Amino acid sequence: MTAAVPTKPRRRRNIAPWVAGGLTLFVLVAFLLFPIGTTLLNSFAPSGERFAFGNATFENFTRFWTSAQYQTALINTIIIGLAVTVLSTIVAVPAAYFVARVQMPFKPLIMSLSIIPLISPPFVGAYSWVILFGRSGIVSQYLRDWFGFQMPPIYGFFGVILAMVLANFTYVFLFVQGALTAVDPHLEESARVMGASRWRILRTVVLPLAIPPMLAGAMIVLIEALGEFGIPAVLGGEVYVLSTLMYFQIHGYFNLNAASAIALVNVAITLIAIVLLLRINRKRRFITVGSTTRRAALQTGRGIRIVANLYVWGLLAVALLPQAVVIFTSFAEKWPGTRWPLEYGLDNYRYIFSRIVEPMQNSLMLAAIATVVCVIFGTLTGYIAERKTFPGKWALDLTIMLPFVLPGIVTGVALLVTYNSGPIALTGTAAILVIAYFVRRIAYIYRSVVAAVSQLDLKMEEASTIAGAGWSTTMRKITVPLIAPGILAGAIIVFTTLISEMSTTIMLYSARWKTVSIAIYERLESQEIAAAAAIGSVTILVTLLLVLTATRVIGKSMSELFS
Amino acid sequence: MTQTPKSLTVKDLTKVFQTPEGPTTAVRDVNFEIEGNTFFTMLGPSGCGKTTTLRMIAGLETVTSGDLLLDGEDFRRKNAFERNIGMVFQSYALFPHMTVFENVAYGMRLRKAPETLIRERVTETLAMLRLDGLEKRHPADLSGGQQQRVSIGRALVYRPDILLLDEPLANLDAKLRVEMRDEIRRLQKTLGVMALYVTHDQEEAMAISDRIAVFSKGRLMQLGAPYEIYTHPTSVFVADFIGKANFFLVTLDGDAVVAPNGARFGGLPVVQTVDEDEWFDRTDALMMCRPEKMWLVAASERTGDTGFEGRATRIQFLGTFVRYLIESDQARSDVIVDLPAFAPGVSEGDAVRFGPAKDGMVFRKATK
Ligand SMILES: Nc1ncnc2c1ncn2[C@@H]1O[C@H](COP(=O)(O)OP(=O)(O)OP(=O)(O)O)[C@@H](O)[C@H]1O
Ligand SMILES: [Mg+2]
Repeated sequence: MTAAVPTKPRRRRNIAPWVAGGLTLFVLVAFLLFPIGTTLLNSFAPSGERFAFGNATFENFTRFWTSAQYQTALINTIIIGLAVTVLSTIVAVPAAYFVARVQMPFKPLIMSLSIIPLISPPFVGAYSWVILFGRSGIVSQYLRDWFGFQMPPIYGFFGVILAMVLANFTYVFLFVQGALTAVDPHLEESARVMGASRWRILRTVVLPLAIPPMLAGAMIVLIEALGEFGIPAVLGGEVYVLSTLMYFQIHGYFNLNAASAIALVNVAITLIAIVLLLRINRKRRFITVGSTTRRAALQTGRGIRIVANLYVWGLLAVALLPQAVVIFTSFAEKWPGTRWPLEYGLDNYRYIFSRIVEPMQNSLMLAAIATVVCVIFGTLTGYIAERKTFPGKWALDLTIMLPFVLPGIVTGVALLVTYNSGPIALTGTAAILVIAYFVRRIAYIYRSVVAAVSQLDLKMEEASTIAGAGWSTTMRKITVPLIAPGILAGAIIVFTTLISEMSTTIMLYSARWKTVSIAIYERLESQEIAAAAAIGSVTILVTLLLVLTATRVIGKSMSELFS
Repeated sequence: MTQTPKSLTVKDLTKVFQTPEGPTTAVRDVNFEIEGNTFFTMLGPSGCGKTTTLRMIAGLETVTSGDLLLDGEDFRRKNAFERNIGMVFQSYALFPHMTVFENVAYGMRLRKAPETLIRERVTETLAMLRLDGLEKRHPADLSGGQQQRVSIGRALVYRPDILLLDEPLANLDAKLRVEMRDEIRRLQKTLGVMALYVTHDQEEAMAISDRIAVFSKGRLMQLGAPYEIYTHPTSVFVADFIGKANFFLVTLDGDAVVAPNGARFGGLPVVQTVDEDEWFDRTDALMMCRPEKMWLVAASERTGDTGFEGRATRIQFLGTFVRYLIESDQARSDVIVDLPAFAPGVSEGDAVRFGPAKDGMVFRKATK
């Protein structure tokens, strides 16, 4: 006898997805496509003017033919990019193989430690190499005194490449390790049954399977290396690369249009590199992951275990050396060019205490706001891209992924050029930093959401709709709760990597909005090394604590977040 | 407990999908009407448009053309979430982050029902589905059958006007399928809700339905009660799809049916088929006989009776009857004859004579 529960009053049209989509579209156009377009056009404008069809000129580009400084910067960028990519891959692949396939203790610890170079402020670490191998560095002095050996100067190619390799090899390591762990053991077993020796299996089965993830990792390293600012700024010395040249044009001459032109060239070589790598990778498409949950048997031979442990721990020790040196230096009180500091204590921390609070607050706040914005828009766009079909979907995908390949400093230049003057002048505000962070990192959330939503049974959302829930209710009660782990993992990466963001911040910060990375950079510039190290140590600590807490909360390991 | 009877009218329903290969018509001019608490089943082979029809009624798929009316009111103007329907999916589609109780309560909460009513209804529904005691579990901790019960509960708890079920039993094992289908029907009749059920299993459809709509290639081929469809198919497709059927190539001579070997059969109903079976390129008519309505003897016997000759390739004892598979060039394909007992003197490989005992029928080529 019970009557039907009355349905909700009738709604005419479900506009929520359109509003959400429209807003997202607006944000992407305003803060991504428009600035990049403006940069592109302004690079053809004479210095000090805005682009108009009347004044178009190649002046900004001709320097690449006429100026030796421009030419060498271009060549240096390419050399460093290639060297870093190749060396990172060579260093990372054996480590990845050992961790994936050899019986070793403390694997979770190894994985967690390998993440540290990715989340600590890169250029503090860079300066550590000066402390170790500089003219009066600790190691250099010992080498000179004991062996009469003179270290090559750390400033220049040697230092830049060394620091970049150790800061970035983790990408290749994580990708290859993940793939080798997931390879269907049946593949190797069937090769073995057919009579292949262990070495032959390694050469003909395992390594070929590792190539696609290796190239994927190498691509990220290459993108990072071509756009890196912090390390060449600290260790470059006379060796300029495009990113430092851009910075020079803006902070030296405030020549935005020249910087735009350099940015364009920088993006162009990055794109060429990506296309080449993708082309190599396209010929090798394997399905490497089998359906079995069983893992490949680990190698347990004594010899291979010794080699594996030595290699992996040795590599980690070298990679984490910069962080260790930073922390050590932060306790050094008197260090007047002597081999070791003369006094140790907490003076540096006392000194920076009052000075670090504000930049740290700024960093955390800007990173937090940008993360929230990324989560909101990244989730919306990721959801729409995965679930809806509409014309121009590829354009959305491309737009979001664009900042992924744009060097950070280029994004900085683009926003600076676009919002420096005119109706919306944002230069110097917190807003422009948040926008820059948002633009640079939205792809992380977007990709996590696309992956998570594609795993989600569409029927679940339909069941919710049928039960009487509109689009936004279904999103709120079903979709978002179910993809939350994916979003959260993305959010952690975004937040922690933004705390010490450098390449974009350096272009956009102002006296009011200095972040920790700027605070460190200024200390390094004024040769207050120990103070810089103290701020760096605090930053590393804060970031690590945040990541550890977050991983506890969502129950994922640190390395899972990044791969 | 029963609710006021509704009526659903489907008029000229058509769905055209835009695919990379061009537009494909998944559903073409489908018409039917369902009254009150009828258990209505859409039956047909894979890809014939059952799911698409169901999803259009649910509002999950847009309608290309045609009308949907519930009690005369235009259903197309309502969003899926406003139609007050319940739906059960093959994959259950339970919300993994909610308990059994919350899954079932979901629709009630969306309707802003008072907490006491929610508690009462959910408890009652779970009891009806024999799920009491599992309220606090999450879907992952339930068996497949239990999960399907929860999803039925979730769809019924708010007393929808129509219950839609898309192959809800396909993921269950054979025994559970039989149990569950009786349970679904019992529940549907208790609550007096109209049910639209999709399956490609003709036995399931016969067992559960009040009315069956047989689909083929996006068209509704025939609509009727299970017995009607079985005994009076209007097309070769339906005769073939529902139950087992033997077909013989024949010609019509006035009232009589003539087989190629000269055998004549009289008094069989002749139906003009609505489909275009490729066999009609070779013959004017096909005679259809159900396996259990045929006789079969050793080749040496009943030589006077009109029938066909063939060879028994396989004899299967299936408990309540014996099945003979016969090779014969006079039939469309292998002939099946089911006898209540073994035919004396026939073993595998022997030549046999066989023919229709009663209730055969003839399909005549459709006139274009
Ligand atoms: N989204 C779609 N886009 C294009 N074509 C579709 C789409 N959904 C279904 N079709 C096509 O429409 C036809 C009918 O599909 P439908 O899912 O309704 O079949 P079905 O009768 O439910 O089959 P099954 O028993 O296999 O579930 C099929 O040919 C299918 O390929
Ligand atoms: Mg279907």
